[in-house]
Amino acid sequence: MALVPFRYNLRSLWVRRSSTLLTMCAIGATVAVLAGMLSLQQGFATMFAESGRDDLAIFLRNGATSEGESGMTREQTELIKKETREISLAADGKPLAAAEMYLAVRRRKVTGGETNVAMRGVEPMTFQVHGDALQINAGRIPIPGSDELIIGQDLVERIADCKIGDTLVINVTPFKIVGTFRGKGGYQSEIWGDLDRLGEALQRPVRSRVIAKIAPNTDLAAIEARYSEDKRVQPKVQTERSYLQSQTQVLSITFTVLGIFLSAIMGLAAVFTGTNAMLSLVSSRTHEIGILLSLGFRPFAVFLAFQMEALLLGTLGGILGCLMVLPFQGAQTGTMNQTFSEVVFAFRTTPSVMLIAILFASLLGLFGGALPAVRAARLRPTEALRRG
Amino acid sequence: MNQPADIEIRHVTKCYSRGGQTLRVLDELDMQMAGGTFYALMGPSGSGKTTLLNLVGGLDTADQGEVVIAGENIAQLSSGQLARWRANNVGFVFQGFNLLPVLTARENVELPLLLAPINRRQRRAQAERALELVGLSDRMNHKPSELSGGQEQRVAIARAIATAPSVILADEPTGDLDRVTADQVLELLQLLNQQLKKTILMVTHDPRAASFADKIVHLDKGKLGRIDDNPTRPATAGR
Amino acid sequence: MPIKLMLRNVLAHPLRALLTIGSVMVAVFLITLLHAAVAGLDATLQQASANRLLVQSAVSLFVDLPLSYQQKIAAVKGVEAICKWQWFGGRYEQDKGGFFAQFGVDHDTFLLSYPEIEIAEGSAAGFTTERTACIVGCDLAAKYGWKLDQTVPIAGTIFQRTDGKPWEFVIRAIYRSSKTSIDQNTMYFHYDYLRESLETGGARGPEGVGVYMLRVLPSTDTLQLASAVDALFENGPQRVQTTTEAEFNRQFVSMLGDVPGLLKLIGSAVLFAIFFAVLNTMIMAGRERTRDSGVLKALGFGNLVVGGMLVFEGLLVCGLGAIAGAAVVKLLEAPFQAILSARLPGFAFSTQSLLLGCGLAMLIGLVSGIVPGLRVARLTTVQALREVD
Repeated sequence: MALVPFRYNLRSLWVRRSSTLLTMCAIGATVAVLAGMLSLQQGFATMFAESGRDDLAIFLRNGATSEGESGMTREQTELIKKETREISLAADGKPLAAAEMYLAVRRRKVTGGETNVAMRGVEPMTFQVHGDALQINAGRIPIPGSDELIIGQDLVERIADCKIGDTLVINVTPFKIVGTFRGKGGYQSEIWGDLDRLGEALQRPVRSRVIAKIAPNTDLAAIEARYSEDKRVQPKVQTERSYLQSQTQVLSITFTVLGIFLSAIMGLAAVFTGTNAMLSLVSSRTHEIGILLSLGFRPFAVFLAFQMEALLLGTLGGILGCLMVLPFQGAQTGTMNQTFSEVVFAFRTTPSVMLIAILFASLLGLFGGALPAVRAARLRPTEALRRG
Repeated sequence: MNQPADIEIRHVTKCYSRGGQTLRVLDELDMQMAGGTFYALMGPSGSGKTTLLNLVGGLDTADQGEVVIAGENIAQLSSGQLARWRANNVGFVFQGFNLLPVLTARENVELPLLLAPINRRQRRAQAERALELVGLSDRMNHKPSELSGGQEQRVAIARAIATAPSVILADEPTGDLDRVTADQVLELLQLLNQQLKKTILMVTHDPRAASFADKIVHLDKGKLGRIDDNPTRPATAGR
Repeated sequence: MPIKLMLRNVLAHPLRALLTIGSVMVAVFLITLLHAAVAGLDATLQQASANRLLVQSAVSLFVDLPLSYQQKIAAVKGVEAICKWQWFGGRYEQDKGGFFAQFGVDHDTFLLSYPEIEIAEGSAAGFTTERTACIVGCDLAAKYGWKLDQTVPIAGTIFQRTDGKPWEFVIRAIYRSSKTSIDQNTMYFHYDYLRESLETGGARGPEGVGVYMLRVLPSTDTLQLASAVDALFENGPQRVQTTTEAEFNRQFVSMLGDVPGLLKLIGSAVLFAIFFAVLNTMIMAGRERTRDSGVLKALGFGNLVVGGMLVFEGLLVCGLGAIAGAAVVKLLEAPFQAILSARLPGFAFSTQSLLLGCGLAMLIGLVSGIVPGLRVARLTTVQALREVD
């Protein structure tokens, strides 16, 4: 079957370029909302998911869903460290495990106003557990047992008193900032200090979790099962990756649901717009269609030609929509995670986000073009020629 | 009934710029047309026929010179004044009929009457009378798409005479019609000229159409060639 | 008749008119929805009481204050009453995704300090006189189908019973709230029940108080009172921060990040999209009617009428869209409120939101009509007649 040349579509869109551009803008704005929400979700989710490791185990108090809720005594965490034989050993034979205390503290932002920042009391072993994933940017690691802090690099410019050499008062105790560190994911938005010293300053002798290095593919359920009969402690054990994923789920779902909800409704309007533009295009080209039909093109070829044009229009709109969100790329924003502390994440328009957005736009174009294309294909050549 | 309106063109110049070049379409044209006469305006393409028609109809304004119709120099009028003047003094008949597709025949004819200070009933009656005159009483409630080409043009003529203007301007009114239908339309114009004393100015390049007029004006390169009495005019149409 | 002509023009392409009206309808609905959400956030803050202050830890929202602070704070001049609030964080039917807030409060001062709480079922005395009694919001009771005098088992997380069983609270009152400062989805029980369980070893958990609420005597300088309370504990053991109720609530809203900003951004994208859609439709309409406009001009109609017809057409289509959008809003008001009441108690499709949506739609119609209207008004009659679409 002879097809109407593709050039014809391109030329037709170009000839009616103001209408083409306006329709593209309408579709583009719709797609931009979807792409924007997905970019937020991506930025947030990948930051956590990418940084989560399978060779790290997290022990929380049974029943707790996050560090903020969890609480264990010193005896309990020591017991976990010593008696869990799956934990890897350091060169000196000590288990590669550390107890940590987590608290979202109230701090002033550099720009004014307050926000909650994650503060983590750590043990010397914490740095060994993380290994190379954690790197000192500047300064040094705090001396164990001292009133010194090291700051995740994302906080340095956002939170007051977080530069090296600054003094940061926690409750009534002054701490000195001695270094900054870079680490994957949320750690970069945390303040770290000595577990016991921070516990004292905050009057919080409780520990939130144990983090431990384990051999890959360790059966964590087996550890949990073994402890379930233990009177002293019954921890909940999971890999760092699955823990972090569970932490981002609610917000990820919120962004995705909001994105889908909005783009479904706006998509409806965009389909209306596309149909409208294509209908007008068909009616203004009735004469041309008559010529095509009388030259011997089959109605299906005419249908395809218009459907193709609508598809092209939608795809162009999708590209425009992606261009609209790209300037936000990398823009940093803060939000609360499930432990109510601010984490910094970047707006990430990934290739897959763009692909989804453009596919969605093409779909809008296809839907919008269907009816007008059918209308064009159904025209009778004689009538079409006369009406033009 | 209005007095037959004379048309006087004095030193009229009209230029268009096309592709960077200035084109002198009418060049100091002087011409007089007597009221109540049916003129056919002929000439080769680009001789300025349609431009002259537009100037007489107040659709366009001259660069220089005067266009005096029934004693009034319309070259002096602003575009708003021109619009009002058109509503009262001229009726247009176009080659492509130019009826509004969404309105019925009667509504199309009523359109120019909206600008006249008359009530709805009078408006309706006047439109119906005009349609009766062109022989379309039975098609009043049809949309243009339901009419034949000849019928459409007759509706357009009814619209042109609905406000009882003294001048009717027609631009190739039979260009899109077959010969039989064209003759009907031209006879109708003749009738309006003879019975209602309308001054008619018709642009055409068809000698046959021109043969229905009293006088034939020849334009050439923006200047008046000559005005001929129509030698072939049927004797029955004499005054 | 120009009106009739305009209507006929709109109706000449009924499908196209409907599609445009549909787009505008969607826009009006979305903008009203987004505005209502932003306004809902504001409303929650604005209904906060001016004569209530909240004392919380200056260090962290999640650090408790010592019990001993109560007496010292109560002694500050201007404090009429004091009420503890302790976040319980228990789980109820967790497997079904059920989540709601529970607080331990001072049963003797709580109801007196919150006059917006109205007892719908049961009695205040029923709540105050029984140690294990609780009072629940009517939305919460409706959600789980709770009845008065029913016992509700809540599994502790922060506070766990040593016998390993869930906590049990008896519903002695169900309340309604006349303001958004107190939502209808919360359970309140006796703080003393919690404290006694911890003291007698019946339960494990932190001993302390999350927040002290202060009811302030009339004509007291709240700012001065707040700094007086803060000064009491300037040197520890826990520094405190005393704020108004509005300020206290705001910290939870701002925690979510810049939600109003995000919603506004989405709203402008919606407007942007619909504006271009309607503008496109009107420009197409204007182009298709160029020759008609030329005819009207030749017949003697002025530029104002010819251009104005397109402007009115834009307004008409958008007006119809706004009406349709308003109808959708009214239709969906109840379901949306039901879904969002727990998270956004201040959410309502106010007349203001609706007017904003409709107003913007009309503005879109006006601008979209003016663009092609100006074009045909500016074209000379001869140009307009020559136009072939």
